[in-house]
Amino acid sequence: MKKAVSILAVAVTMFWGTGSGIAGETIKVGFVDTYTGPATTFTNDVLDGFKMAAEKINEKGGVLGKKITYVTRDDKFKPDIGLTMAKELILKENVDLLVGTINSATALAVSDLCKKEKIPFLVTFSKSDKITGSMGHRYVFSMNENTEMAGRATAKALAKKPYVKYWIAGDDYEYGHAIANGVFDHLKTLNPKVQLLGQSWWKVGETDFTPYITQILAAKPDFVIVATGGGGMVNFQKAAQSTGFNKKVPFYQHTAIELSTLSPQGPNAPEGVYGTANYLFYFPATKENKAFVEEFRKAYNRYPKSGALYGYMTARFIAKSYEKAGKIDKEKFIDAMEGMTLDSPVGKMEMRACDHQVTLPMFFGVTKKSAQYDFLTATDVVSVPGKDYMPSCAEIAKTRAK
Amino acid sequence: MDFASNLFSAGTLSQILVGLSRTTILFIVSSGMSLILGVLRIPNVAHGSLYMIGAFAAWSVIQFLGGGLFAFLAAMIVAPMIVAAVGFVLERGFFSYLYEREHLMLLLLTFSFALILGDLVKIVWGPEYRSVTVPAFFQGSAEIFGLPLPWYNLFLLLVGPCIAVFLWLVINRTNLGKIARAAAVDGEMVGAVGINTGWVFAFTFVLGSFLAGLGGALIAPMVNISLGMDHSLIMETFLIVIIGGLGNMWGALLGSLIFGLTQSLGILVWPQFGIAFPYLAVVAVLVVRPRGLLSSTW
Amino acid sequence: MRRSAAPFLLLLLPVALLALPQVLPRFHTYVAAIVLLTALLATSLNLAIGYTGLYQFGHAVFYGVGAYGTALSLTRSGMPAPVAFLVGPLAAAALSLAMGVICIRLSKLYFGMLQISLGSLVWAVVYRWYSFTGGDDGIHGIPLPDAIASPKGSYYCTLIVTGLCVFAMYRIVRSPFGKVIQGIRDNPVRAEAIGVDVKMHQLASLVIAGFFGGVAGSLFVVVESSVFPDMMFWTFSLEVLIMCLLGGMYTFFGPLVGASVIVLLRVFASVHTRYWGLILGTILTLVIIFLPDGVLGVFVRRSRPREVPGA
Repeated sequence: MKKAVSILAVAVTMFWGTGSGIAGETIKVGFVDTYTGPATTFTNDVLDGFKMAAEKINEKGGVLGKKITYVTRDDKFKPDIGLTMAKELILKENVDLLVGTINSATALAVSDLCKKEKIPFLVTFSKSDKITGSMGHRYVFSMNENTEMAGRATAKALAKKPYVKYWIAGDDYEYGHAIANGVFDHLKTLNPKVQLLGQSWWKVGETDFTPYITQILAAKPDFVIVATGGGGMVNFQKAAQSTGFNKKVPFYQHTAIELSTLSPQGPNAPEGVYGTANYLFYFPATKENKAFVEEFRKAYNRYPKSGALYGYMTARFIAKSYEKAGKIDKEKFIDAMEGMTLDSPVGKMEMRACDHQVTLPMFFGVTKKSAQYDFLTATDVVSVPGKDYMPSCAEIAKTRAK
Repeated sequence: MDFASNLFSAGTLSQILVGLSRTTILFIVSSGMSLILGVLRIPNVAHGSLYMIGAFAAWSVIQFLGGGLFAFLAAMIVAPMIVAAVGFVLERGFFSYLYEREHLMLLLLTFSFALILGDLVKIVWGPEYRSVTVPAFFQGSAEIFGLPLPWYNLFLLLVGPCIAVFLWLVINRTNLGKIARAAAVDGEMVGAVGINTGWVFAFTFVLGSFLAGLGGALIAPMVNISLGMDHSLIMETFLIVIIGGLGNMWGALLGSLIFGLTQSLGILVWPQFGIAFPYLAVVAVLVVRPRGLLSSTW
Repeated sequence: MRRSAAPFLLLLLPVALLALPQVLPRFHTYVAAIVLLTALLATSLNLAIGYTGLYQFGHAVFYGVGAYGTALSLTRSGMPAPVAFLVGPLAAAALSLAMGVICIRLSKLYFGMLQISLGSLVWAVVYRWYSFTGGDDGIHGIPLPDAIASPKGSYYCTLIVTGLCVFAMYRIVRSPFGKVIQGIRDNPVRAEAIGVDVKMHQLASLVIAGFFGGVAGSLFVVVESSVFPDMMFWTFSLEVLIMCLLGGMYTFFGPLVGASVIVLLRVFASVHTRYWGLILGTILTLVIIFLPDGVLGVFVRRSRPREVPGA
C-alpha cells in the first residue's frame, strides 16, 4: 500500500507540475520542435539563429520595452507528442506565439490547433506546401520555402537544359513525393518534351542505395530527380560517390548544395550534383551575409546553415511586427506581419499578405571541390528571386477553396 | 515495366552481388541477436543501440587515428570491442541478476537500456551528423557488365563469409561455444553438470554485442552516422532471426540472404514498391513454416 | 487474491475524475483525457497478453485502425457521428479477427512477430495511400459534434466511454470465459485435454482486445481531432506493452497504472529535460529490479505460470 501511495504522490506532484514564467513582462516564444534523433542537426540551427537575433534585440532594449524569451519542447519527431507539447505551451506556459517544427505532419496538426486557439504559429523548416497552401489560414506563417516552391524553382532551371528522359527516385514518404512531383509536373508544363521513364522509391532511412543505383543506370535516363530528405541526402550522395553515379548521370536533389549535406562528407562528396538551397554562407558575398556568418561563427563556432537563417529572421519578424503593432496583441501582431519586408543576409524577405508565406531567393547550383574549404561548395550559382517561383495569390486562393 | 526482361538483364547479376553484400551487415547484426535470443532467451531491443554505438565509436577511432586505411581497420576492431565492453557491463551489472524474472520483463529491461543508450549517445557525441569516408583503398567501383559495384560492397561480400566461418568455429569448435549451445537447449542441465552458466551467458551477450558493434562499424562508411540509427535495423533484425529460426546461426544467414536478395531483386522488378518485398517474403515464410526455416533452440 | 485497497479506490476515484475539469486548468484536463484513453488501450492489450497469454506485440495497429476508421468516416462519409464512432472499433475488431486467424497457429514469440509483420503492412498501406488516408501527414481538423468538441466535453466523453469499457472488460475477465482463457494461458495442453476449444477462445479474446483497442483509437480522435500513421507503428505497440509490464500484467488495474505513469512521465518529463529517454529508461530499470511484477504486482501473491516446454 505504501508503495502505491508514494508512486501516486510522485505522479500527482508531476501532474501539477511547476509553475511557468511570469506572463506579460516578456514576449514568450514557444518552440515545439524535434530535438531527438537525426533531425536535431537542423533544428539546433533554427534555435541558435533565433537566439542570436533575440539576444541582440534584447540588448537594445527588447521589443516595446519587453525582452524576448523562449521555451523549447521536444516533439521527438512524433505528431502526437508535438500536439501535446503545443497544447502545453499554449495552455500552461501561456506563450504569446508558437514556432516550429521540422516534421510536416506535426506542423499541420499544430497549425490546426493554433487556428482553433487563435494564436500565431510561425513554421520553421517544415516543407509541406499545405502549410500555407490548401491548409493555410490566418494564424499560420511559413518562414521558409516549401516543396511546391522548390519544385517550381528547379523546373525553371531544368527547363532550359537539354535533358529529355527523366527518372524519379526518392524517399517513400510525403515529402519525397511532393518534391519529385513538384519538380517534374512543373517541368512538364514548361518543357512538354520531357518524359518520365520510371520511378524508384525506397524506405525513409535506407542505407544502401547501390541496388537502386544499378537499376536506374540500367534504365539509362538523361537526368534523375532524387527526392531524398534529411539524413537520406548524405546517404545517397555517399552511394553516388562510391558508384560513380554522379559522373554517369546528372542528378538533382533539393538541398544538395546545402552545408548540412556537404559538410559531413568533407572533401569526398560527389561533384557535379545539381541542387537548390535557400541559404549558402558564402553566397551572395554581400556585407550583410558576411556579417551574419561572422556573428554566428563567433557565437557558436560553426558556419550557419539554412536553419540559422530561418531562426534568425523569425526572431526579427517577430520583433518588428510587435513594434509595428504597438502592443502585445495577437491579432494586431498578425496584421502587422502581413506584407512586412525586412533586410536579411540573403537580401529582402517579404511576408506575403495573401498566404503568409515568406518570399526569399532560391539558389540553384552545382557541387564542386573548393580550394578554400575542406568540404564541397556550390558553383555556377543562379539566384532565383522569390516572386519568380512562388505560386500566385490567385493559385493559393484556389487551392484553399477546394 | 517489363518484369521479365528486367529480371534477366545484365542488371541482375549486379543486383545479386549487391544483395549479397547487404546480407553481410544484416547477417552480422542478426547473428548477434540470434545468439542472445537463443542462449539467453532475451529479445534484445537494445541491439540497435549497440549497433549505433558501434558506428559512432568507429567514427571516433578514425578521427583519433587521423583517417586512412590503418585507422579504418583499427576502427573495425576497436569499435566492436568498445561495444562488447558495454555489453559486458549490461550483462554483469544487470541481466545476470534478473534471469529468473518473467520473460517479458527482460524485454522491458532491454527496452529501458535502448532508451538510456540512445540518450547517452546524444550526450557523448551530440546531435550533429558524423561521417566516415570509405578509405582510399576501397573507393570507387568495379564494373560488372557495365554497371558499377563499389569496391566497399565487394569488401563486405568477402567479410560476410569470414565472419560466418569465424562464428561457426567459435560455436562449434571451442568449449565455450559448445557449452553455450548446450545452455541454449537446456540451461538447467548445464548448471546441474557443474558449469558456471553465469560466465556462459556473459560470454554470449558480449559476443552478441561485439557483432552488433561490428555491424555498425562496417556500415559507418556507407551512411550518415546519426541519432536514430538504433531504430533503423531493429525490425529487420528481429524478422530475420524469426524466419531463420531462433538461436540458429545458419538460420540468421539464411534469413539475411532472403531479406537482402528479395529486396535487391524486388527493386529490379518493381522499383516503386521495392520496400515491400522483404516483408512479403517474411509473411510467406511464417505462414508456410511458422517456426522458422531452420530448427530453433526454443 | 486482491487486497481490499482496490474497492476503496474504486469509490473515491470516480468522484475525483468527475470533478476534475471543474477544478483543474485546461491543459491538465486534456492530459487526463489522454491518460484515460491510453489506460483503456493498455487494459485492452492486457486482455490478450496478461489474461490469455498471447504475445500481442502488434496491438497499436488496432488502436490506429480504430482511430483512422472513425476519422475517415467523419471526414469522408456523411455518416452521423455516433455511427462513425462505432466504425473504428468494429474495423479494429474485424482486423483483429483476420490477423488472429493467420497468426493463431503460431505460439509465443512467433505469434508476436507475425502480428508485427502484418501490422507493419497495414501501417505501410496507410502511410503510402496519401490520397485516401493523408499518408504520413495524417488527417487534421476532423469535425466533431459540438457536445464533445470542447475540452470539457471531450474529457467527459472519454471518461464515460473509458469507464464503461473498463467495466465491461472487468466483467469479462471475472466471467467463466475469463477463467477459461486464464486457464489456457497457464496450461494450454491441459485446457485442450479437458475439452476446451483453445483456438476459439484465443480468437475471441483477440477480437475483444482489438475492439477495445479500437475504441481507444476513436477516443483519440475525440480528444485531438487528428490521426497519424505513427499511432499504428510497432514502436508504439512496444510502448503500450511496456505500460502493461510496468504496471503489472497479472493484475487488472496494472496496465491502467502503467499507462498513467508513462503518459504523465512523457508529458511532464519532456517539459523539464531534453534527456527524456534517460529518465524513463532509468525509472523502468529501477522498477524492473525492485518491483519484479510491475507496480501493482506487489499486491498480487501469485505464482508465475511455469514455462511449459514446447507449448
